[in-house]
Amino acid sequence: MAGAAEVVVVGAGVCGLACAQALSAAGLEPLLLERGRGVGGRCATRRIAGQPLDFGVAFLHGRDPDFLATLRAVPASVLEGWPSEIHGTGRPCQPDAFTPGEQRLAYAEGVSVFPKHMARGLAVRVGARVVRLEVTEGALALCLEDGERVEASRTVLALAPEQALELLATLPEPPREVRSAAAVLEMTRSHACLAVLAIYPDDAPRPPWQMSYPETSAVIQLVSHDSSKRPGGSALALVVQGHSAWSRHHLDDPAWPEALLDEAASLHGAWVARPVAVESHRWRFARGDRDAELAAPLWLRLPSGARLGVAGDRFAPGGGVEAAWLSGRRLAERILRETRA
Amino acid sequence: MSDDPLRALVHRQHDHECEGFGAARVCVKVVAVADLPTRFGRFRIVAFWNNRDAKEHVAMVLGDVVGASSVPVRLHSECLTGDVMGSLRCDCRDQLVEGLAAIQRHERGVLLYLRQEGRGIGLVNKIRAYALQEQGLDTVEANLALGFRDDERDYAVAAHMLHSLDVRSVRLITNNPDKLRQLTQHRVAVVDRIPHVIPPNEFNRFYLETKAQRSGHYIDFGGNPRLVEQSDPPVVEGVPEDPGGTPA
Repeated sequence: MAGAAEVVVVGAGVCGLACAQALSAAGLEPLLLERGRGVGGRCATRRIAGQPLDFGVAFLHGRDPDFLATLRAVPASVLEGWPSEIHGTGRPCQPDAFTPGEQRLAYAEGVSVFPKHMARGLAVRVGARVVRLEVTEGALALCLEDGERVEASRTVLALAPEQALELLATLPEPPREVRSAAAVLEMTRSHACLAVLAIYPDDAPRPPWQMSYPETSAVIQLVSHDSSKRPGGSALALVVQGHSAWSRHHLDDPAWPEALLDEAASLHGAWVARPVAVESHRWRFARGDRDAELAAPLWLRLPSGARLGVAGDRFAPGGGVEAAWLSGRRLAERILRETRA
Repeated sequence: MSDDPLRALVHRQHDHECEGFGAARVCVKVVAVADLPTRFGRFRIVAFWNNRDAKEHVAMVLGDVVGASSVPVRLHSECLTGDVMGSLRCDCRDQLVEGLAAIQRHERGVLLYLRQEGRGIGLVNKIRAYALQEQGLDTVEANLALGFRDDERDYAVAAHMLHSLDVRSVRLITNNPDKLRQLTQHRVAVVDRIPHVIPPNEFNRFYLETKAQRSGHYIDFGGNPRLVEQSDPPVVEGVPEDPGGTPA
């Protein structure tokens, strides 16, 4: 039994971090519980052959002035306008990413510098997987995988809708508010995305583009020329991401990394299928679509008096990292309004 | 050039650009004007262009309003299900028809038809809200997440539209005093409020049956609580005001 935090945020992705950061800035002491080894969720960077490769979010974009200022305040090499060299006319993951007024950027050090910077000064427990919720008097008990219980009068679920649903389903005799939240979450399912990270030999041709959205492939959503974020000495590195329907069908097919690379080779040349180093990642809950977009985060008052919030990239207009960040902040504002009142 | 003051606005505003209204800094201009005889009277329809989205807002205009003061004005938010399909889940069609009729009675006025519903995926989420109701779930929170709340952009766009029409001051047809305040914030001179009273008819007779009020909400013919979509509590002739059926 751990001590009670003022607010417990489950999930240290961009939404959970933005929420906790705003609460912390107002003097509260939120505790973040993250099941993974690090913060950032889909703002994920993995080091291969010395290079930090972005295998989830390939670049950041948005138009909210506060969000953009936050991105630019990260102490890292900001690549303004990346990607500017686009190959192909296929649809980007976020349809708004290249519309007028939208600003794009990346970091040479990898996108995870953004969530890591946000996490500075916050209480984050990594490797803490919440498996069950229980109602106690005036609070919720978050039961962790290792048997520990963390109690909180105010809990925020900053997870993929499917993961939030799974946790809500563990509440015995869910009250009307929870059933309502579950029904809303049911309306906003996630797309899957299979990703391959590949490093190439020195004689591999350098693609003249930074990002490719093939218009003809039913397999590949994008190929990101990730090493172009670090011009100069680094070896050629590509990240290939699959379309949502294809990814969903191949989640449990062990041959999917080869299939993805073969398709990339058919689009960009046979050499693409012959990397010197390759890794892969399955994003079960990669992103939402515009039809899964909701207007605002949920902030529920349970009959026991406990408060339960649900936020994430679906809970603000526009989708993507910007929406995750905005929804986290917006939920924090609601929590703070209530705290002051 | 035209000596019709409405048509003249099209020419005068063709290169209009300003810093915009409200948080979204929306800027609109009059781009087309035509006669529109309707079953509710002979109106003119004024089409607006805006710099923020593809929503084509319109104004239904009766009589001389350009440069005029004390013009009766009604704000109506688009409701495909109610306005067009005649849905009985909301009051929108009654409110729209009565708005046009009120302007007709005053022999002058403007009804701003705001294409708010399609904002984002407004219609999809409204149908989702109906689906939630059918499961017996109608909490305020779910409606908020689905976008069911007053949106101050309504007033920003509406205020700019009134400025574009060069309406000097308005008599606002509404039951929502908050709308007066919001419009005033956007520099619209509101000199008066005209109550928006819907005449009773066979489709809104449930308002007359006070027992239809359950937990502060009016119940529609399908047994569902009615969502207030016009941010204007319905007032039906001969019925006390809504006990509090505003969801947000």
